[in-house]
Amino acid sequence: MDAKYLALAQMAVGGGLMGMAYALVAYGFQLTYAAGKAVNFGQGELVMLGAFAGISLSGIGLPYWATVLGAMVAGAALGWCIERVAVRLALQQRNEGWILLTIIVGLFSLSLVENIWGRDDRPYPTPWPAEALDFFGISVTWPELAIAAGALGIMTLVELAKRYTMVGIAVQAVSADPDAAELCGIRSRSAISLSWMVSGVAAAFAGTVIGPVTTVGPTMAAALTLKAFSVAVVAGLDSGFGLVLAGIALGAAENLSGYVLGSGWREAPGLILLILALSLRPQGVFGKKIIRKV
Amino acid sequence: MSAGVTIALRENTSERLVRFALFLGLAILPALWQGQYALGLLTLMAVYGVLLIGLDATVGYLGQVNLAQAALFGLGAYGTALAVQAGASFPIAMLAGIVAALLPGAALALPALRLEGPQFALSTLSFATLSVIFLNESESITHGALGISIIRPSLFTVTLDARGFYWLCLVVLFLAWWASEILLKSRFGLSIEALRDSPTATDALGIGTLRHKALAFAWGSALAGLAGALHALNFGYLQPAAFGYDLMVMLLLGVVFGGRRSQWGAFAGAAVVAMLPNLLSNRTLFLSLVTCGFILTLLPAIRALISRRLPSFRDAAPAGAMSLALALALLAHNVEDWRKGIFALFLFAAVVGLPDGLAGAVAAALHRLLRFTPDPLPQAAGGITMSEEISRALPLRTVQLSKSFGGVRAVDNVSLEIGQGETLGLIGPNGSGKTTFVNLVSGLYAPDGGSVEIAGNRPLPGKLMSAFSAGAARTFQNLQPFSGLTALESILVCQRTGGKREAMGWLRAVGLEANARDRCSDMSYGDLRFLEIARALATGPRVLMLDEPAAGMSKQDIVRLVDLIASIKRAGIPILLIEHHQDVVAELCDRVAVMDGGRVIALGTSAEIRRDPKVIEAYLGADDEETDGSTEREAQIC
Repeated sequence: MDAKYLALAQMAVGGGLMGMAYALVAYGFQLTYAAGKAVNFGQGELVMLGAFAGISLSGIGLPYWATVLGAMVAGAALGWCIERVAVRLALQQRNEGWILLTIIVGLFSLSLVENIWGRDDRPYPTPWPAEALDFFGISVTWPELAIAAGALGIMTLVELAKRYTMVGIAVQAVSADPDAAELCGIRSRSAISLSWMVSGVAAAFAGTVIGPVTTVGPTMAAALTLKAFSVAVVAGLDSGFGLVLAGIALGAAENLSGYVLGSGWREAPGLILLILALSLRPQGVFGKKIIRKV
Repeated sequence: MSAGVTIALRENTSERLVRFALFLGLAILPALWQGQYALGLLTLMAVYGVLLIGLDATVGYLGQVNLAQAALFGLGAYGTALAVQAGASFPIAMLAGIVAALLPGAALALPALRLEGPQFALSTLSFATLSVIFLNESESITHGALGISIIRPSLFTVTLDARGFYWLCLVVLFLAWWASEILLKSRFGLSIEALRDSPTATDALGIGTLRHKALAFAWGSALAGLAGALHALNFGYLQPAAFGYDLMVMLLLGVVFGGRRSQWGAFAGAAVVAMLPNLLSNRTLFLSLVTCGFILTLLPAIRALISRRLPSFRDAAPAGAMSLALALALLAHNVEDWRKGIFALFLFAAVVGLPDGLAGAVAAALHRLLRFTPDPLPQAAGGITMSEEISRALPLRTVQLSKSFGGVRAVDNVSLEIGQGETLGLIGPNGSGKTTFVNLVSGLYAPDGGSVEIAGNRPLPGKLMSAFSAGAARTFQNLQPFSGLTALESILVCQRTGGKREAMGWLRAVGLEANARDRCSDMSYGDLRFLEIARALATGPRVLMLDEPAAGMSKQDIVRLVDLIASIKRAGIPILLIEHHQDVVAELCDRVAVMDGGRVIALGTSAEIRRDPKVIEAYLGADDEETDGSTEREAQIC
């Protein structure tokens, strides 16, 4: 194959694998949006907190898998906190105050991270082999594979749980109509809390798989929120696996435009596509058309 | 309630006096308080004031989270800086700043305007990120991350020193404030607020959605550009990184902290955003401020405890946030490292504790303490009359109108006509397609097949505005009030012609004259139903569609309603009336159409309908099923 096309393919594959991480963070948006029509504008900060929690745990000598587990527990706790502190009140009052409150909580987390872990980027230690795998001339590293496997694994698990466990079905009932679910004896508030916890778990887990590929630092949060949110909205806030496609597309587009146009421009085509996609299909490329009822 | 000082002034007048005093005080402040540093802060506050008043147009009045303002501010600043470098004079450079923000703002507005909520926020966020990338990467124009330096040109022949420039900024702020006030308190501003509360109703009543959104956004962008121009001329040095995510969050939070939908709020927010970073450097001052804040936030919790109940989350959370801030102020090694965190805590306390912001809280307190002379209401004029131009065309004609949702044919080949001055009743069991039919006629849905003709015009399918222009006006089964407006304002935004007197006339016609000053959010359910009818009448419709106006009304209100509809009918306005109360239908309707399963199964006078076997079957079921369960239904239909 032509060397130039090979390099492009390499870029696309690397970007696509990273895009799975965006999809995973975006999945966190979907979970909370389904449950309470609110999303966490500080989701990137959650990813960052998860990654830093993992780094600290490996600092005290825990193995990789234990740091991942620890980060997920921390993520669940943080997700619960954000719902309790920033979202519940706004949802009770049926206003959009949650947008501001989640931004505020994100800002506080950022400050917390800057003061506890410092402003510098840090590596995330992993046990994966250092050498890359080779598929038809395209090299793929182990941490990149971990992103793909982890993202698909978590999303599949949660989707299965949503469909086949009583708790999952109860959460779906709440997302369809919280008041009706309440009348059927489902505690809507607990279901929404649970969704936020799972969303926090997904974010923190994303931190532990993104960390080894990039590095972990306070600057990662804002960019991740934007990318993941783009993926979620382009795919449609109600479309499960459309996310993965949108995530891969965004990651690949980013890498390719960085390669072709220069690294400063890597985010630009994705953002332009995003604005266009939104203006053509506000409900998302894979989303269901919203029928206005009066 | 009765306690309070009565002021022999109108609220507007007193507000203007206070504002004038504020600007006077700000103008003479540099004479009393020497020092370049303080002057720099005051200038920054004035610049942010302009910027936040612009941001409030979208975040406050339009109710959409706009994350592009910081980027537009940056584009304006760069526009001015580049113009100055090219040798432009002072006014031209300012103009360049405005244009540099307005044009991209308009370009963003086109795709973003169809969006709402999170999608709108995202598209503005993407735009902001793109702008910063552009400023960073177009090195041949902007020198990228290195930044750009300019020297302030003289204003005509005067070379402005720091104090002179501060006064210029104050003048600009005063003008921006004044213009925003005029714009946003006008009918245009009321329309924007109506749009925020119910975009469906604004479209169906011909107020229009898109152009108001576009104008609000353009106004906000122009002010961002103006503020950017001042910023560039003030500092003389620009870097792209200064206009990124951090500034945007600060601005957004400044507006919310100060108070949305208020120029005073934007100004207060600007003061906080400009001063807070500098407060942190003075530890004693900062500590005393945090302590004051903490004590203030404790009050609601203590009040709750005194009345022997547990403080709610809303009472306790601000105190919790402020106690964390206090702990940081006392314990943190270097408070400035915690700048973002402390700002976040303050804002959290403000957003939860003062949902209407500082300005809202102060206004509420003032309203408790002082009583202003209310604005006089004008004499009511006019009332229910048919619009002058009489056309020969049928007010409403549908031909084989059809609409399916998935596999359900909600409306199936419905052909109906309403004659001049006729009242047509549309009845049928729940889910028979009545409301869908009205939605098709009024343009909320596009039909799958068939056509609609309103007063001889054929509106574009699926366009509320087009159906409105043709002459349709409607009410909604589920109320769509403009919650933020008063009853009088709700009518004013819907009127095609006439002013306050006519609006009072419409209120009198539906018996809500006494409620003119009430906010819709404070009105009762029944009154809101009457207000919806008044809104629809105020548009001067050729055909009026009432979707279950009596639903949920009390007996007395229904009597009032029947009288009202009868008077509308007497004025010759054709009516399509969907109603479940059969006595209402029987009394008012010339003809009645019965729908079931999306089809019209019977059409005739009320008496004919009641004897029609198909109708009886639709309501009561066939003989062999559910004969005992249907007695209530019988009571309803007869």
